[in-house]
Amino acid sequence: MDALPLLSAILLSPVLGLGLILLVPGGAARLVRWISLVSATVASLLSIHLWHSYDTASGGLQFVERLPWVEALGISYHLGVDGFGTILVMLNSIVYLTGVLTMWELTERVKGFFGFMLLLVVGVYGVFMSQDLFFFFFFYEIAVVPMYPLILIWGSGNRDYAAMKLMLFLLAGSALLFPALLTIYHSSGLGTFDMVLLSQHHFDPDLQIFLYPLIYLGFGVLAGMFPIHGWSPTGHVAAPSAVSMLHAGVLMKLGAFGILSVGIRLLPVGATYWAPTFTVLATIGIVYGAFVAIRQTDFKFVIGFSSVSHMGIVLLGLNLATLGQAGDDALNGAVFQMFAHGIMTALFFSTVGFIYDRAHSKTIADFGGLGAQMPRAVSIFIVAGLCGAGLPGLASFWAELLVFLAALKTYPLVGLVIIGGLVLTAVYILRVFREAFFGEVNPRWESLRELDLVGWQLLPRAILVGVLLFFGFFPRALLDVIDGTTTTFLARFWMQ
Amino acid sequence: MEPSLFAPELIALLGGLLLFGAPLLGAGSTTNWRLAIVIGLATVAGAIWTLPMSGDAFAPGIYHIDAFSQSVKVVLALGYLLVILGAREPLTLRAHAWCELPMFLLMATVGMMIMVSATELLTLYIGMELAAYPVYIVIALHRNPAVGAESSTKYMVQGMMASAVSLYGMSFLYGLTGSTYFSAMGVQISTLAATPLFWFGIVLLLSGFLFKLAVAPFHFWAADTYEASPHEVITFVASVSKVAAIALLCRIMSLVIPAGSEAMGLQSILMWFALAAMTLGNLAALRQSDLKRLLGYSAVAHAGYALIGVQAMSASGLTAALFYAVGYGAMSLICFLVIAAVGRDQDRVAIEDMSGLWQRSPGMALVFLVGLLGLIGLPPTVGFIGKWFLFSAAIEQGQFMLVLVAAINATIALYYYLVILRQIYLVEATAEAPAVKWTPSLVIATTVGSVIVVGMGVLPGAAWDLAALAVAALLG
Repeated sequence: MDALPLLSAILLSPVLGLGLILLVPGGAARLVRWISLVSATVASLLSIHLWHSYDTASGGLQFVERLPWVEALGISYHLGVDGFGTILVMLNSIVYLTGVLTMWELTERVKGFFGFMLLLVVGVYGVFMSQDLFFFFFFYEIAVVPMYPLILIWGSGNRDYAAMKLMLFLLAGSALLFPALLTIYHSSGLGTFDMVLLSQHHFDPDLQIFLYPLIYLGFGVLAGMFPIHGWSPTGHVAAPSAVSMLHAGVLMKLGAFGILSVGIRLLPVGATYWAPTFTVLATIGIVYGAFVAIRQTDFKFVIGFSSVSHMGIVLLGLNLATLGQAGDDALNGAVFQMFAHGIMTALFFSTVGFIYDRAHSKTIADFGGLGAQMPRAVSIFIVAGLCGAGLPGLASFWAELLVFLAALKTYPLVGLVIIGGLVLTAVYILRVFREAFFGEVNPRWESLRELDLVGWQLLPRAILVGVLLFFGFFPRALLDVIDGTTTTFLARFWMQ
Repeated sequence: MEPSLFAPELIALLGGLLLFGAPLLGAGSTTNWRLAIVIGLATVAGAIWTLPMSGDAFAPGIYHIDAFSQSVKVVLALGYLLVILGAREPLTLRAHAWCELPMFLLMATVGMMIMVSATELLTLYIGMELAAYPVYIVIALHRNPAVGAESSTKYMVQGMMASAVSLYGMSFLYGLTGSTYFSAMGVQISTLAATPLFWFGIVLLLSGFLFKLAVAPFHFWAADTYEASPHEVITFVASVSKVAAIALLCRIMSLVIPAGSEAMGLQSILMWFALAAMTLGNLAALRQSDLKRLLGYSAVAHAGYALIGVQAMSASGLTAALFYAVGYGAMSLICFLVIAAVGRDQDRVAIEDMSGLWQRSPGMALVFLVGLLGLIGLPPTVGFIGKWFLFSAAIEQGQFMLVLVAAINATIALYYYLVILRQIYLVEATAEAPAVKWTPSLVIATTVGSVIVVGMGVLPGAAWDLAALAVAALLG
């Protein structure tokens, strides 16, 4: 344990960045970009340090910091990460850094954009680190707020509708969480919001069964859970690139992380009771998302619905984890998928955004033979696509494999259905490749030849591709960090 | 009698006389305004000075000074000061009203101070009327006589009816106990609680206050009065008056909480008031195009939220209500300060008038953003933590469904607040939109208000402890 409060330092780097950006005059776009980049780099380096110094052998909660905040009500500023938190903090840092680089060429209202983006990043870090139920929810809401202006002001297309829909869905989810979280606090009788203490309390089984669906649906909205995912594809499509990256890459993970660390951790009986129901919904989500993606005409809608499908895998893993037969595999797979999907969608949106900025079109049918005109951008998109299809050698493969194995062991029928879903995934990905990137060259895009990714523009995409490949070939580097936490998590789970 | 206990009221009263005399001695509008600021500062200082004191200011049992009354007085005095800071040139008032406005608002503030200290029914009534009459008058000073007469009459007629209902309730309490002292009622509370007539009297008494707070179904005056009153006056009504009304509800609750389970009937009545206020206020606000009218309905909804804490009838509930009242006062204040600055030469301010505010005045747009985030109930503002405290107090009483309905209501409200934000940040200003004047005094007032909104949201510990201390003093 080192003397530096590492988690607070990570949390503070975007906070300081935000403070500095507010002080800079509106016209100084260059300075704003550099402040954002420096704060993102610092946060990323600290996150690497966090990953490196997280002791996988002993597992459990590490880097704990604790300060009383409202003592009378048992609220404390309590940070700490387990293996799951560690990799998700890393995920957020990667998406944050590459997001800033992706938006480097933004010229419109730069100060406001990076200000809101940093606020979003603060919220996401906070959720992954909080061990206090109040702060968990506090940061959760902070992460949701900036989505509205980010989509409304810097978005495109049907942004008015998308931004409003997103906010209404997400806050309706919070409306379920509000009474549920407060009931957890009051019914424990411990007078504390400390999640570590609450997780050791045995809640009344009937109460758990009553509260768990509220928590699951409340957080599930943000995780793009079927059938309350409607906000997600429209939001993805209307948002600017870096916001789509953060939104699909990390924000949706907050939902899944909330289900895991509040729902399953505090209410194990409720989780087991409801798991079969939510397994069915998650399975439908996987297949449905893929089906709808096949019929889309817009690049971003394809990715938006693929997110619903891929997040379905995370939710499926979480539910299977509570059923016992292959809990370890399911939970490892779900957390691995959170990370892999985060990197993969970030790569997708980063690249689609680049193509859109050059071609001003996201319609698949408009393109054709784009591979010949923008070989570098298209190659990167193809890497992301193959990762989405679960190709071995890329990170998603391991995640999906683990969840599928767990599904086959627990509910063989569900296992078969989602393998069918995987085939559908291949169909929609390959369809995009064929119609947009290969085939007859469309002369309309001749001018794009000079506009392909060059120089530093390759940097954010290269980082993301590198991460996907690295964990595709060395999945143990990631699994080692989460496996220890999975074991203790499930051991505590079954004790209850 | 100990005059030092009476310091804030005394300073404000003498200040009121000064403000009355100054224009007669030839002071211009600027001098008068500066004088009002100095008096406001002195009143705040007086209230802070008396904060640690406690005791009875007159004969025992009439006028009580304790941590509760004095901390509310600090807030009231500060609220007055901030309203006056923003009222440098009240263009929607008649040309000569610059001398009346600070004086009458100050008198109303004194009335509210008397209200929160009163522990006897007649003193309470005098305080209520002193708080109400000056506001009736300044609303009527609208530069457009037709508008002023209409909104003032509406407010006055309904307000007087509310007072009459309260007075009627007081007569029952007097008839039952033979005394107007709260302490006398406290002694007999266990026998009184068994008498239905006592609860009838309490409900009538409360109805009068709920009227002033614009809780549904007594909210009809709010939208019309908000829409058609001079901006500076409604800034005061929407912030300072609300704090006083909620503090007063806490005072009445402290009277009936000792009745224990006998008070459950009252709790369920108040719960339905809260539900009606939230739901009707929010649904009505969805359809408004006039910004002040919209915020009038939003005030109805927020009164409903605050009532959640009041009806919990517990120390944590009253603390949460008091905490939220102060937070809401600050949020509402900064929103209205901005509205008053943007539409300073307009009788009515529509949502369209806020178009492109971020370009016309980025600072003011930011202040409005902070205020709206607070009203929506999002962190890092006091709106979020305040709702958390209120809902927590209700869950403590097992009122799960109430909290669920309140939280869903907050989602409905999100829509109309976002429509305003969209207008400010996305829609371009029309060419003829007047420039927005950012005077130094307005900068100070909005900054102080925003700091309270964000400060209480990020570091609520100190404010919560102070509110808890106040409520502890109240509950004895």
